[in-house]
Amino acid sequence: MSDIKATDLRDVQDAIQAAVAAKTRLEVRASGTKRHLGVAAAYDHVLDVSAMSGIIDYQPEELVMTLRAGTPMDQVEKALADARQMLAFEPPSMTKILGEATAGVRGSIGGIIATNLSGPRRLTAGAARDFLLGFEAISGRGEQFKSGGKVMKNVTGYDLSKLMCGSYGTLAVMDEITLKTIPAPETSRSLLVGADSFSEAVKLIATIFATPHEPGSAAILPQPIAAGEQADTGNAFTIVIRLEGIEPSVNDRSQHLQSGFGGESLDDMASQALWLRIRDVQPLAERPQDIWKVSCAPSDAPRLIDSLDLRQEMRFFADWAGGLIWMSSAAPDLGAQLRSAVARLNSGFAMLVRDVGATKQKVAPLQPLTGGMFELHKRVKASFDPLGVLNYGRMHEGV
Amino acid sequence: MLMPDPDQNVINRRDEICAELRKLVPAECVIDSKESMKAFDADGLSAYRQLPLAVVLPETVNQIAAVMKWCHQQGVKIVPRGAGTSLSGGALPLADAVLLGLGKFNRILEVDYDNRCVVAQPGVTNLAITHAVQADGFYYAPDPSSQIACSVGGNVAENSGGVHCLKYGLTTNNLLGIEIVTMEGEILRLGGKHLDAGDYDLLGIMTGSEGLLGVVSEVTLRILQKPATARALLVGFDDTGAAGRAVGDVIAAGIIPAGMEMMDGLAINAAEDFANAGYPREAAALLIIELDGPEVEVDALIDRVEAIVGKAGATSVRISQSEEERNLFWAGRKSAFPAVGRISPDYLCMDGTIPRRKLPDMMRRMASLSQQYGLRVANVFHAGDGNLHPLILFDANQPGELERAEEFGADILRSCVEMGGVLTGEHGVGVEKRDLMTIQFTEDDLKQQQRLKCAFDPGHLLNPGKVFPHLHRCAELGRLHVHKGKMPHPDLPRF
Repeated sequence: MSDIKATDLRDVQDAIQAAVAAKTRLEVRASGTKRHLGVAAAYDHVLDVSAMSGIIDYQPEELVMTLRAGTPMDQVEKALADARQMLAFEPPSMTKILGEATAGVRGSIGGIIATNLSGPRRLTAGAARDFLLGFEAISGRGEQFKSGGKVMKNVTGYDLSKLMCGSYGTLAVMDEITLKTIPAPETSRSLLVGADSFSEAVKLIATIFATPHEPGSAAILPQPIAAGEQADTGNAFTIVIRLEGIEPSVNDRSQHLQSGFGGESLDDMASQALWLRIRDVQPLAERPQDIWKVSCAPSDAPRLIDSLDLRQEMRFFADWAGGLIWMSSAAPDLGAQLRSAVARLNSGFAMLVRDVGATKQKVAPLQPLTGGMFELHKRVKASFDPLGVLNYGRMHEGV
Repeated sequence: MLMPDPDQNVINRRDEICAELRKLVPAECVIDSKESMKAFDADGLSAYRQLPLAVVLPETVNQIAAVMKWCHQQGVKIVPRGAGTSLSGGALPLADAVLLGLGKFNRILEVDYDNRCVVAQPGVTNLAITHAVQADGFYYAPDPSSQIACSVGGNVAENSGGVHCLKYGLTTNNLLGIEIVTMEGEILRLGGKHLDAGDYDLLGIMTGSEGLLGVVSEVTLRILQKPATARALLVGFDDTGAAGRAVGDVIAAGIIPAGMEMMDGLAINAAEDFANAGYPREAAALLIIELDGPEVEVDALIDRVEAIVGKAGATSVRISQSEEERNLFWAGRKSAFPAVGRISPDYLCMDGTIPRRKLPDMMRRMASLSQQYGLRVANVFHAGDGNLHPLILFDANQPGELERAEEFGADILRSCVEMGGVLTGEHGVGVEKRDLMTIQFTEDDLKQQQRLKCAFDPGHLLNPGKVFPHLHRCAELGRLHVHKGKMPHPDLPRF
């Protein structure tokens, strides 16, 4: 397998047109930190886009940044921090649980977009898909096209930016992308509130979100994890509520919530450190076990957890008010159990994020699609990439 | 405006088609008399009118599916319609198409405070969502100005915005899930009460697709806790450039107001005549800056914003001291369209977006175009996000004035694209801006969008003639031109 190194869209176009002509399959890759997400499919060549890097235009007062998709996340975040701004969806680093492809490289913005990965603030601020305003790309047909724009409010034509987010590079290879940025909060603080059960924790969070005190993020840590994170309330579960904003506002809201719900508070620095570890799934990183994530309606989460008969040895914690559950286990049938548990819910999905053995050979890493949804996915794929040149089979068979 | 040639064969089969449709839905749900169909012959873009082949008003999702499946099999086109408030002609009927009205889908199905969402049928109005949850302190954030009438299904189709989307986002950012019926009559659920599925974001693609990809039969909307308080500043400037810079300064200071609206001199005076809101008539530009959130936060930010606009050269600043006064500040802005309607027999409302820093350039361009066309223009903007609503004043009774106004409007939109912006910020393309799409997009850009359309509707039966200036057959679009290209330098090792 040989690598093709692209420096611009013309190179990408050449590579894709050649692949179309030769009917070969390309694996599109920048820094490669997320290449173990999804199906481990086989490819003829790697299309390396890591050289398509750099910030093209950043106007903080316009709240937009135009950059190339291969730009390393560290560089993106440095530029944002210098202007006291951020990506509101809090893009996580996967290297703590998936390892580094290259020493010290955290991944590229393109990889974040391709996998639509978002952190704890996703609950109230939106996902990666909510912040991609536009892009330029080469489709799997080898044609250059663009969609969206460089302005915040735009409904001109189909919103293909949404489709690019979470498509795992199966539709097109992006170069220039434009993101919406927002001012970073001046300060933050977290409250730690105890709960006796997971189900009580989810309910308590719902009550806190029914107040006007603007909680921004909400995680649930079982006692062993809370203890490891120096966030132990002494209860079976600890709820972590993050408040962000200007100082008088954060102080006021935290006083209100503390008088209503009790609990201790973490100052800005301790709060940031804890949420960084939650964002990057660090509480589950150390044990060499498979890691799964489940997204479901928060109120369905307790039922889902209760239905698993691995509760004793499984390690888990929840983010997004209970709507995102990270879990690790050595049990070989965790995946099968999760899939059937999710199937009993009205909506949700389970995804294998870290595979330490050969789990992917037995269970599809992404929630399988059926019927009309599968058919539509294949048609959408074909509308961009009819021959399956780009990351073919990475998400689902035939996609 | 040229619409696709109606299919005479379909028109000739009208009686048979209506009879068949009556087997699929209760007989009274099919409307085919000219008089009754008149009520459906246009949407909010009332310059364009057309009677449909027939109107069908289904009552259940299975009826929608049955109608669409039958039409698909028979090659009969469908135009979906919510409340008919589109400003771009998205629901304009076609002579050879069945108009599928969702008006009977008017029930809220579930209010779910545990997961902070509302499940509703698509015909429920935008404002009814807030009404259903406001007693418990919640609301639905997107607030298009037609919110009293527009339907949430239509909001999904158009990805509707409003004055608060700078802080709270458009429909797409507040939508958790939908149920759709495809042109082939299949019922699919996209998204749900969970966040971020692990497959293609078809929910995102459906949002803003202007009824070309599927019919929305149910929506799940995110609701938010109402902010504890809201206050507004009314700030006058003697120069629109200074007002534009002040908007940038507020954001550069790390403040995202709930709303930031701007009006020019003509709009200020028209609104003041209409609403007596106490606007400074002598100002060349007026900003309404609204801050919401916890009381201490709003108070602190009001002080900061006051200092920023003062430094930016504000000539007058008023700060709302009561909810009544805040509403009065908004009363003028909210009545800007009818107010302009009073000073001119007719007006065209445009809807482009530009990078905010181009605002002074755009104002100069508009002034010179106004002179060139001999028509006045009043400006209201969602200044925070660069979304312009120039109102071009004209008199349709004067021969040639409508055409001149339309040309003026097209020039404004061309300028928006030239300055790095886009043709439409929130009203949609529809038929209104269809033929301008080639200004913003290349042929390849548009072909890729149409290929996606083909994935959902290979027969081009759903709402054809909207959004795309040229219709290409799906077989033609799918054809792959294989270049003779080989791997560049195939013999070289690559690392």
